Amino acid sequence: MSPPHRRERGLVRPYVVTDGRAHPTRNTLDLVTLVTAASGRPLSGLSPEKRRVMELCRGGALSVAEVAGHLALAISVTKVLLSDLIDSGHISTRPPIPRAQLPDDQLLQEVLDGLRSRL
Amino acid sequence: MTQHILEAVIWCLAAGLLAGLVLLVRQRRLTAALRRRLTALEDTLRARDAEAAHLVEARLSFLAQAHQQPVPVPGLLDPRLAATAYGRSLQQVQDLFTQAVDTARARADQSARATLKAAMRALQALANEQQLSISDMQDRHDSPEVLQDLLEIDHANAQFGRRAQAIAVLCGSWPGRQRVASPLIDVVRGATSRIRDYRRVEVHSRVDMDVVSRAVEPVVLAVAELLDNAARHSQPNTTVEVSIQPAHHGVCVVIDDAGVGMDSREAEEAGRRLSGREDIDINRLGDPPQFGFAVIGVLAARYGFTVSVDTRSPYGGVRAVLFLPHELLNRVRAPKTAIPPETEPSPEPLPAPAPAPAPAPVSVPAAAPRADHTSGAPEARPGPEKEPAPVTAQASTTGGLPKRRRRAAAQDHAAGDQAAAAAPPPGAGHTPARPAAETATRMGAFARGTRYGRAASQDDEGNPQG
Repeated sequence: MSPPHRRERGLVRPYVVTDGRAHPTRNTLDLVTLVTAASGRPLSGLSPEKRRVMELCRGGALSVAEVAGHLALAISVTKVLLSDLIDSGHISTRPPIPRAQLPDDQLLQEVLDGLRSRL
Repeated sequence: MTQHILEAVIWCLAAGLLAGLVLLVRQRRLTAALRRRLTALEDTLRARDAEAAHLVEARLSFLAQAHQQPVPVPGLLDPRLAATAYGRSLQQVQDLFTQAVDTARARADQSARATLKAAMRALQALANEQQLSISDMQDRHDSPEVLQDLLEIDHANAQFGRRAQAIAVLCGSWPGRQRVASPLIDVVRGATSRIRDYRRVEVHSRVDMDVVSRAVEPVVLAVAELLDNAARHSQPNTTVEVSIQPAHHGVCVVIDDAGVGMDSREAEEAGRRLSGREDIDINRLGDPPQFGFAVIGVLAARYGFTVSVDTRSPYGGVRAVLFLPHELLNRVRAPKTAIPPETEPSPEPLPAPAPAPAPAPVSVPAAAPRADHTSGAPEARPGPEKEPAPVTAQASTTGGLPKRRRRAAAQDHAAGDQAAAAAPPPGAGHTPARPAAETATRMGAFARGTRYGRAASQDDEGNPQG
């Protein structure tokens, strides 16, 4: 809804964000779990924070820690939100990318070099 | 001779008798007059005594007890006394008394205010400090049990802070807490944070406006007081509906409760307090003191918004309307494409690609908010959340490279990026659409993320997360 830097920390307290809940509905999230937005789910009826999560995740996978950072919320509070979104099918999670699936350094380096050469 | 003497005596006697009679008559008349006079004087005296007693018992005590300034003080018992010096003296006594009472009242009010203000400021500061440490603890502790307790403490602390703040404001203090301009919805939810029954509040917003920085805290406080009233005067199983609606000259925050409502006398009293024109005497807010409307009145008058509670809610309770004029609002950044797709998921993504085809015009407005965005928060990747459907829909060829694709396998992604790097820059690369610094940040973030993920996965390898 609004970019993170405009968000005033402490204005909307976390219990309002989670509706008073502190226990996430699932216990599968940790700091580096990657979160991706599922496409085609309606966003109506979501709280502003959840919309913001969807907005953040639309561009690609984000880790739980990153989401929390962008939302300026505590990690544990973010987990409650993310669990809800997983339950409603808005986002999906996967464990952090294991080593084998990562692009190798050389490829990244090439991308980086390519970019540098252009800019 | 003797006869002469006798005659003379008789005459003398007659004359004496006559004189005696005359005197007697005169005396009697005199006595009667005196008696009359005496009665009249006694009457007057009695009237004055009664008047003095009346002054003490009725008029002055009435003045002393009168809770509103402009009350008709009972007049003299005997209107005839008004013109006399005595009447004038009584009037003077009364005037002096009124003056003395007013002075004493003003002084008492002032000192009560000063004391309360100082006390509440201290409490407010403590509450703020405590809130900070609670926030820190929320960040530090990961356990849901701890968080649950922290949330409760946080909630209690927020209510406590609001009370202190409200009383301080009523005593002439500033609301404190400078805030940055915040979206109206956050302002309303911030207000929700500060009341006991926050779970019963439902907020619906159709407005995407920011409240200017200086008005954030006052509006939060005013809305919180209204919400608190609404929640306290309605059944615990009902909801308090808040809707934020655009109006011609500003925005209305409409708060409906399904409570008991107010009778006309209460509504009138509330209207008077909310107007902010009434001079508020904090000694006369009732017992227990009713701060709410008085506080809102003070804030409304000071910051230029208006509040009315005289309409009936469709749910049977009170409908409170807080009207924020345009002076207190900022329209949220115009080229914000992120909002429409959220509210209207189906129709919006279609028109969005339409303006997109020309790469340069799109990327320029897109770059503008991003530029200030990075300046505000030099956080790793501001891009993904700012560019919603259009770009992902447009796929690979849009001006910039590093648009991360959802879920795409990293190799494909990188390869696609390289292909894109080969193809589009001749067209788009010349336009400074995407600042180099930003591209660098993005790629940096990408690299950092990868490294981070790698490190984490190593950590987790032997210790699967659960």
